[in-house]
Amino acid sequence: MLRAGLICSGIALNACIRKIKPGSSPYSDIPAELKGPDASAGHVLRDKVSLPKPSYSRDVGVLVIGGGISGLSAARWLKKNGLENFELLELENQTGGNSKFGESKVSKYPLGAHYVTPANNENKDLIDFYQECNLITHFENDLPFYNEYSICFDPEERLLINGQWQEGLIPEFGIPAEDKDQIKRFLALMEELRYVRGNDGKYAFDIPLDHSSTDTTWRKLDNLSFSDYLKESRFNSPYLLWYLEYCCKDDYGQKLDKISAWAGLHYFAGRKGKAANAESSTVLTWPEGNGYLMQRLTARLEGHVRSSTLVYGIREDKSFMLVDVYDLKKKESYQIRAKKLIMATPQYVTRKLLKNFTRAEVDYEGFNYAPWLVANITLKGLAGAPGAPLSWDNVAYNTPSVGYVDANHQDITAEGGSKIITYYLPLCDQDTRIARLAAYARNHEQWLDIVVPELEYLHPNITDQIENVEFWVWGHGMISPAKGFVWGESRRNANQPLNHQIFFGHSDLSGVSIFEEAFYQGIKAAKQVLDSYGKV
Amino acid sequence: MNNKLPAVLLLSVFVVATCGLIYELIAGTLASYLLGDSVTQFSTIIGVYLFSMGIGSWLSKYFEKNILSWFIQIEILVGIVGGISSTLLFLLFESIASFRVLLYGLVSLTGILVGLEIPLLMRILQNRFEFKDLVSKVFTFDYIGALLASLIFPLVLIPYLGLVKTAYLFGILNVSVALLVCVNFKKEIPAVNYLQSASIISILGLLLGFVYAEKITNFSESLSYNDTIIYSKSTSYQRIILTKRGKVLRLFLNGNLQFSSDDEYRYHEALVHPGLQALPQARKVLIMGGGDGLAVREILKYPNVEQITLVDLDKGMTSLFQKNEMLLSLNKKSLLSKKVKVVNADAFTWARQQKETFDFIVIDFPDPSNYSVGKLYTNSFYSIIKELLNPDGIMVVQSTSPFVAPKSFWTVNKTLESVGLHTVPYHNYVPSFGEWGYIMAMKKSFYKKPNSFISNLKFISKESMDQMLYFPKDMAKRETEVNKLNNQVLVKYFEDEWASVL
Repeated sequence: MLRAGLICSGIALNACIRKIKPGSSPYSDIPAELKGPDASAGHVLRDKVSLPKPSYSRDVGVLVIGGGISGLSAARWLKKNGLENFELLELENQTGGNSKFGESKVSKYPLGAHYVTPANNENKDLIDFYQECNLITHFENDLPFYNEYSICFDPEERLLINGQWQEGLIPEFGIPAEDKDQIKRFLALMEELRYVRGNDGKYAFDIPLDHSSTDTTWRKLDNLSFSDYLKESRFNSPYLLWYLEYCCKDDYGQKLDKISAWAGLHYFAGRKGKAANAESSTVLTWPEGNGYLMQRLTARLEGHVRSSTLVYGIREDKSFMLVDVYDLKKKESYQIRAKKLIMATPQYVTRKLLKNFTRAEVDYEGFNYAPWLVANITLKGLAGAPGAPLSWDNVAYNTPSVGYVDANHQDITAEGGSKIITYYLPLCDQDTRIARLAAYARNHEQWLDIVVPELEYLHPNITDQIENVEFWVWGHGMISPAKGFVWGESRRNANQPLNHQIFFGHSDLSGVSIFEEAFYQGIKAAKQVLDSYGKV
Repeated sequence: MNNKLPAVLLLSVFVVATCGLIYELIAGTLASYLLGDSVTQFSTIIGVYLFSMGIGSWLSKYFEKNILSWFIQIEILVGIVGGISSTLLFLLFESIASFRVLLYGLVSLTGILVGLEIPLLMRILQNRFEFKDLVSKVFTFDYIGALLASLIFPLVLIPYLGLVKTAYLFGILNVSVALLVCVNFKKEIPAVNYLQSASIISILGLLLGFVYAEKITNFSESLSYNDTIIYSKSTSYQRIILTKRGKVLRLFLNGNLQFSSDDEYRYHEALVHPGLQALPQARKVLIMGGGDGLAVREILKYPNVEQITLVDLDKGMTSLFQKNEMLLSLNKKSLLSKKVKVVNADAFTWARQQKETFDFIVIDFPDPSNYSVGKLYTNSFYSIIKELLNPDGIMVVQSTSPFVAPKSFWTVNKTLESVGLHTVPYHNYVPSFGEWGYIMAMKKSFYKKPNSFISNLKFISKESMDQMLYFPKDMAKRETEVNKLNNQVLVKYFEDEWASVL
């Protein structure tokens, strides 16, 4: 805590000095603004601000709390199965969670999650949904045919290494032969693990990960850090390790030593979707990122979704759950009497909301969240650079960020004029709690000081091209599957429904923050609700 | 009276004479660059110029008092008008419908002002020399100046400075004469300070023009083109450059030759007639790309065509070909025809939103040399265009050279086939491009070769059509992949194949 205090006061002091001495930042003339999920609303909950007493009450059959992908997916499932008496509450003024997106006159752009890969073929629920939203247009020889406008256009990826942009993200340009061999060996191993099955006949690594094999040969890898696993397997090429660390940062917001080996391998071996016109690792993406899928999830929920609505207390009363709700727009409180609750909230929020319930077996401390910074940068244009041309994903070797994505990449219109790039920076250099506090403490000028130099390294003189920057800070960006978390007790116990009345669905209950898991979690909770009607 | 002064004035005669001839030469050269036909241009420019000088000389009698001060003001004015004239002509060349009015207007104005100079100077000097000495000295310096101008203009100025900078340089010299006279005749001129500062400001202004001449006219790349650049402009999408040598006009987009006026008919006839001649009932035609209006010109030869929609991304292109005289005579004012609707929009987006259908569709995009253009050669794009094609309709795609880039050519063919279209590839020889390829694609499964072609064609006939349809071994069909948004194989083939040539 002392370190956190020191870092934050350092940042605040630095901010004060800037105020006193304007012009001390070289980037102060770049128009920038700082945004983030509505932390002030969230902190009403944390800081126990006193709210008005509920003035009235109404009944709802099933109440879904949380409008991220898992909540929306749960609501969609209820609706799809004929249940009409349900409502979804979202704290922010916009649903979508990590799949939220922004829009300017230049383009739509993601604020968080921005791609999926073809669904694993056994994942029927997901394939149905992809068909529903025209991501899968039809089937050819029983294989899904993905919408060609959503398959990442060529060129897909490039890496800045040894002074040049090369095609693809796996280091190749100017890499010694031994390193190349090791990279090849690793990728061959992953190809093998992708289809390996445990003694129960299930895939060792599957999506949703709950469908993975229970075979201890594989599950025990969860108790090892990914970095230790790599050491044991004699993977030590700095180029390979850089690539793997990049992958962990990209998907889990953490470095190799903070991630379990099982989760690290799952990143590579979990995706095995076969498609008529795509590979299992093919990227499916949109200018607005997963906002595209999110909007389609929301499409049929009209009348059921209430945003800007804060839940601040949940109590049990006989066969009902009494939920105290504060309408942030009307600034009034009311109560909802619900038969069933689906908690589609991250566990650090669930913990606060369920403070009146005993869940002794749930260890909330076991949930670690990685903080992130996302910057959407509007550029007047982007000059060509030596080597591979501008791609969808653009990464530089050995830099703090995981690079940037060209938000306009899936545009079919000709290039010309302004464009938006979305830059992703996982804040994983410090302990997550310190990094989170530090992230909240920084102002937009301080973020510019961090982000612009790296962009200048990628593209010299890019600063003159910057029209505007929108920073988005995700304090709890994504769950990090730390050692022992995926197959450990905290996750298992936190998934258990409470008294046939409260059900849980959120990507952090999978341990891996990807669209597919959130989507699965929502359906899982909704199915449990539907089942429970028969039982009670 | 100071003895030095007559010498200053005689020096002025010399400079003024040099400048005067230089302006004349600049105007003549510019006119023959921009309008072609140098004999006509030069003789009319010289005629108008000399005539205007006559007007100037005649007008000189109306200047009675303060002749020195008038002389200085005229010098400043000549310097400014002459200095900026070529910039003005280059910049307004694209946008002015009656370019000739501007050109001859400027020439007349310069002529009149220059015509005033010598008579006024002679009157200033009349009290300082005897009449016979005066006439002999003034005209000697006048003609020496003219000789110098006529020698340095082609040998030094045009090769090293170019038209625009030369004009500014002589504008500066002209105003310097004004300044020199101001300084030396201080006592004899009323309001000398005002004239002095006016000339200094004008010199500075012209100096700026001299330094930034290339920026103003964007002619910095003139070295990389063989021919004289007569127009260049960067739009948001591309850099348009028009060059001229003799009577031949060439259009470059981003450095790539789009057409050469001496053989473009071979390209555009081949692009249009094999398809359109086979569709005697065609009423509605769509052209994508082709903002030069040359394909439209060919299409307008069919009276049965009632409506032509041209979709081109770049307004800079279409308006250039709607306004400029020289280009209008090339495309026969096709883009101004009542049958033609010009839409400036992105082809892919426009086509996706389109519901209308067409009998004949011409797809005339730049070569697939980058990923942005490459999207317009994908199966996704062709399947959209297929929806815009009437059941009996034909579409034709310019498909790069089957000789230089056979893989690229046959990729376009394969991609068209992959969306369920029946294709007819063909080719012809266009000297500026080399062997060039086109592919017709249709929903019906056969193409009936026309028995005859309309009469006013220079290249296509029934016989040449037979040759066009035949592919010799060196251009024969190869196996390739389908070009898709997520593989863009065409851009890669194209790069490889052309890299070995360029």
